[in-house]
Amino acid sequence: MKRRIRSKIARGSGELAILALLAEQPHYGFEIARQIGERTGGALQFTLASLYPLLYEMEKRGWVEGRWQPNQAGRDRRYYSLTAAGRRQLAPLRKEWRSFFQALDALTGVSHA
Amino acid sequence: MPDWKKQVRGRMAGLNLPRELKDEIIAELAAHLEDSELMHGADHLSQQVPDWRVLCNDIARAQSREVPMNIRTSTVWIPALATLLGASLCLALLQLVGIRPRMWWTGDMALTFYWPWLASLPWFGALGARLSHRRGATTRRTIASALAPALAMLITLCVILPVGLLIDGYSSIRLAHFAFALANWVGVPGLALLCGALPYLRASQRGSVNKLSP
Repeated sequence: MKRRIRSKIARGSGELAILALLAEQPHYGFEIARQIGERTGGALQFTLASLYPLLYEMEKRGWVEGRWQPNQAGRDRRYYSLTAAGRRQLAPLRKEWRSFFQALDALTGVSHA
Repeated sequence: MPDWKKQVRGRMAGLNLPRELKDEIIAELAAHLEDSELMHGADHLSQQVPDWRVLCNDIARAQSREVPMNIRTSTVWIPALATLLGASLCLALLQLVGIRPRMWWTGDMALTFYWPWLASLPWFGALGARLSHRRGATTRRTIASALAPALAMLITLCVILPVGLLIDGYSSIRLAHFAFALANWVGVPGLALLCGALPYLRASQRGSVNKLSP
């Protein structure tokens, strides 16, 4: 049960992180993992095994779409960009997570720790 | 620079998707590994995919258009049911054609060896382990699927014993009978089932330490 809750939290936070990052500009998989790792100071880290199933799931839901195009080094990479449905998804997800952290904070005072 | 596409293709042979889609996924994962090697070096690569079978299943599930079957159902319950049904039907069939068990008596208690049935159990153990392993189950789930008939008997006996003791009262003879029943219907069949599952348990451990070679 504990593992299931933890994996749902990780999955939900991963979805939000990817949507928020792609809202700025399109990225390919490796760049998504690198940017999220760097910007969260390593707190959120994606491996190949954790990133792509999530990206494909989000693509299936119509939140992101992938398109092959060359990167700065001229190598073909699959760039993901946010769709209109993904953009619509971002605001309620942000709200949901904000409420979640506020509730957790009210209960445990984690933000003052 | 290694041929990442070739390496990924080899490890994702079990990914059951339309060819075009599979090729695209392989190209994308190979590109990720290439970038990872360029940026972090070869040491980082083995952390990227702890278990390729699990990754194949996760991708197949993410790409599937159907409602995904509950993971526990597909990795444990269905394989376990197949093992249990197969072993039970086989035993019933052997009894139907009149094949008798060989008894090994110690006092008034006997160890029962149903040799033809015991010989068939490794096949059923292998069936359960294979079905479970194919769905990317963990080693523990693969073992549980293979041992389903023995586990079912263990649960049944563990229910029967306290009820029997409650109704008839404690006696050492009853406990000895229980121990013999455990050996007859759990221990020996469990070992036979486990023999059939062994190749899949080895493959499962190989799969989980399947490192990339840059």
